[in-house]
Amino acid sequence: MSNSTSTVAPPPRRRPRIPETAALLVFLVLEIIFFSVASKYFLSWDNFVNILTALSVTGILAAGATILLIGGQFDLSVGSGVAWVGLMLALLNPILGTPTAVIIAVASGLVIGVLNGFLVTVVGVNALITTLGTMAIFRGLTISIGQGKSIGITGFDWAVIRPFLNIPLPVLMFVAVAALVTLLLRNTVYGRSIYAIGANPSAARLVGLASKRNIFIAFLISGLCMALAGLTNASLLGSTSGVTGLGLELAAVTAVILGGTSLTGGIGGIGGTVLGLLIVGVLGNGMTLMNVNSSWQQVATGGLLILAVSFDRVRQRLQGAR
Amino acid sequence: MSNPFLSAVGLRKSFGQVEVLHGVDLDLVPGTVTALLGENGAGKSTLVRILAGDHQPDGGSISLDGNAERYTVAGARRRGIRLITQEISDAPTLTVAENVVLGDWPTVGPWVNRRSIQSDARDALAALDTTLDLDAIQGTLRLGERQIVEVARAIRGHSKLIIFDEPTAALSDAEAQILYRVIGTLTAKGVAVLYITHRLDEVFAIAHRVVVLRDGVVSLRTPIGDTTPSAVVEAMVGHAVVRTRGQSRSRSEGGAVIEMRDASGDGFHAVSLAAHRGEIIGIYGKVASGVAEVAECLFGIRPVENGEIVLDGVSIRLKGPADAIARGIGYLPPDRARDSAFLILSVAQNLAAPSWRRLAHALTVMTDTIDARAYRRWHESLGVRSTGNPRQALGTLSGGNQQKVLLGRWLEAGSRVLVLGEPTRGVDVGAREEIYALLRQLADAGTTIIVASSDYEDIVGVADNALVMVRGEIVARIPHSSITVSSLTEAAGGAIHV
Repeated sequence: MSNSTSTVAPPPRRRPRIPETAALLVFLVLEIIFFSVASKYFLSWDNFVNILTALSVTGILAAGATILLIGGQFDLSVGSGVAWVGLMLALLNPILGTPTAVIIAVASGLVIGVLNGFLVTVVGVNALITTLGTMAIFRGLTISIGQGKSIGITGFDWAVIRPFLNIPLPVLMFVAVAALVTLLLRNTVYGRSIYAIGANPSAARLVGLASKRNIFIAFLISGLCMALAGLTNASLLGSTSGVTGLGLELAAVTAVILGGTSLTGGIGGIGGTVLGLLIVGVLGNGMTLMNVNSSWQQVATGGLLILAVSFDRVRQRLQGAR
Repeated sequence: MSNPFLSAVGLRKSFGQVEVLHGVDLDLVPGTVTALLGENGAGKSTLVRILAGDHQPDGGSISLDGNAERYTVAGARRRGIRLITQEISDAPTLTVAENVVLGDWPTVGPWVNRRSIQSDARDALAALDTTLDLDAIQGTLRLGERQIVEVARAIRGHSKLIIFDEPTAALSDAEAQILYRVIGTLTAKGVAVLYITHRLDEVFAIAHRVVVLRDGVVSLRTPIGDTTPSAVVEAMVGHAVVRTRGQSRSRSEGGAVIEMRDASGDGFHAVSLAAHRGEIIGIYGKVASGVAEVAECLFGIRPVENGEIVLDGVSIRLKGPADAIARGIGYLPPDRARDSAFLILSVAQNLAAPSWRRLAHALTVMTDTIDARAYRRWHESLGVRSTGNPRQALGTLSGGNQQKVLLGRWLEAGSRVLVLGEPTRGVDVGAREEIYALLRQLADAGTTIIVASSDYEDIVGVADNALVMVRGEIVARIPHSSITVSSLTEAAGGAIHV
C-alpha cells in the first residue's frame, strides 16, 4: 500500500517513464558507433544486409518464442526442430520433388508444435521439461535417421535470391514473420489473450479466455516458425546434418529476453525482440570483423545477456521506488 | 496508569517531496492494547515501520522506558519490540517446532540443538496457552494456527511491545477468537500491544485505547469507553459516513432469475436459493462454511454434483467460466490479486477482457481505442478514481478502485447475474460504502446480485435477503427487516464477544 498518496483524491502523479526499449536502442547505437570506429568494413549496406541474413533464422524462431514467453511458456525444441525439418526436406526432396517435400517438411515442424502443445496443455507437463524432452528426442531422431552425415540439398536455393536493394529472401521472410506476429500480438483478441494469460493465468480463465487452447496455438505457431526457419536454414546452407541448428533455441530465447519480454509473462513484444536480435547480431558481426575468436564471442554474448537483464532489474527498481 | 513503555513525540517522515507523517505522538503502555486505525494512505504503515526500526523518522523522537533512542530492525528486536505482519512468512514445508524457532535456532557450538528446538517451541506455545502438534508440517495447519506460530516466534525471548499489523485480515472468526485470547494472555503479562486493523468490531472487543490516523496526523485519541464506532469512522474518513442499508426492494413479479435447487458439491450440501430480478441475495458464512464453494458453482468453476442450477426457469449445466459468462453471469473472486486482476495490464484491458470477442472487429481485430472506449463508458458511473488514462496499469489503483474496475468488466460484458465473493475485502471504509451504493444501483437497474461473503457488513449493507451457512449447509434464512450483525453472527454460531 502506498502511503504517499491520499486515497481521497490520488493526484495524477506522472513518474517520468523510461520506455522499456530505450536502453536497448541506446546500447545498439553505441555498439554501432563503436564497431564503425573499430573496423572500416563495418559501416556499409552490404555488411548490414549480412548481419540481417545471419539473423533471419534465429529471428523467425524468436518471433514464435516471443509469443510463448509473453504467455509464460518456453520452447527449447526449436533448434532440434530446425534440424528435423531440414532432414525431412533433404531426404524427401530427391524422391517426391520439392513442392511435396516442402509440405511434408512444414508438417513435420507442426508435429513438434502439436506434441509440445498437447503435453503442456492437455497432459499438463511443465513447458521447460516438455520441450527439453522433445529437444532431445528430435535431435536424436535427426542424427539416427540421417546417420549423422551431412546431406546435401540440391535445387532448393531460393534463399540466395535478392529481389531488391540486394536484400536476400530470408531477411524479407523474417521481416514478414515479425510484422505478422506484431499484428497478432497487438491487434487481435488472440494476442491480448496471450498477454492476459501471461499476466495472470487464473484471472484469464475466470474472464472466460480459453487459456489452454490459446497456449496450444502458441506452440503450434512455434512449430510453424521451426518449419520456416528449417527451410530457410536448409536453403541458406544447401545441406543439413546432425549438428544443424544446435544452440538456436538459446540464441532465440536470449534475443527475446534481451528484448525485454518478461520471464514471468505478460510483458514484452516483437519490437524489443528485434532490438535484442540486432544487438546480438551486431556484436557477433563486429567482433568477427575485429578478428575476435568465436569462443570469446560466446563469452561476450552471455555477458551481454546478464548485463542487459541486470540493467532491466535496476530500471524496474528505479521506477518502483517511491 | 503506569508509565508508557514506548513514547513517540512529534514523529515526522517524508518520502521525497511528500510528508507522510506530520508530527505524530503515541504512547504505548504495558498491559494495554492500543488500536491504531486509519484508511489506506493515512500513514499507519509508515508509523509502524518507524516503531519497528525499519524507517528512521525525519523529526521527533522515540523514548523507550523514558530514554530517547534510535534503533534499527535488529535493534528493535533486542529492545523487545516485535512486529507481526499481515502476510504469514513461515516455511510451510518445515515442522511447527522448526517454524517457531525459525531464524533463531538454539545452538550448541556450531550445531543446531535439535532437542532444544522442541522444548523451546513448546515453551513459546505454552506462553500463549496454546498447544499445537510440534511435529506437524506447518503447511497443513489452518491459517489461524499458522498465525499463532508467527506470534509464538515473535514473542520468543523477552518481548515488551508487540505490533500486530492487521492480523485477522485472513482469519475466520473462530481463528480470530484464538488470537484475541492470545493477546489477552500477552497483556496480562504486562506486554504493550499495538493493534492495527480495519475492523471496528475488533477494536471495541479487545482494545483499551484507540488512536486514529488521518492524512498523517492523529485525528482521534481516546480510551475505548469514551467513543463510539461512528465517531471512530468519522475520525478515519474525515466526515460522517452514513452507514446505509438498502431499502427493502419490492420483489419483481415472475420467477427467479437464478436458482440452486437442493444442490450439493464439494464443500456444501443441499443448498437451495433463488434470486429474482433486481434482488440482492447475501450468503453469509465464515471461512470454510461452503459460501465460497457455492459462489464458484454458480460461475461454473466447480461442478454441482447433486441437484441443479436453474437459470430463467431452465435447468443448466455450466461447463466452465466461459460458459457462465456466455449465459450472462459475472463473478468477482474473493482473492482479487490472485484470481481476478491483471495488475500489470491497463485498466482498460482489465475492464474489456471478458468482452474482447464481442468488441473486436470481425471477432478478432482489437485495438487500444476499443479498450479505451469500453473503459470510458463505465469509468464515470463506477466512480473510479484514477488518472483517467485508460492505459494506466491496474496495479497503480487503490484496492477499492481496482474492485470498481473489475466490477465494471461485468457491466461491459452485459452480465444479468453478478456473483460477488468478498466484494469489499481489502477495501477502505469509504470505498466500501461506495461499492455498496453501486451494487444497490445495479440491482435497481435490474441486475440480480449474489453476495457471498464472510464479512457480515457486506450482508448488512446490501442484502435484501440473507442466507447463513455453517459447515456446508444453510442454517438460516433472514428477511431484510431482520438482517443485523447480531442476527447473522448468532445464526453462524457465535457473536464476537471476548
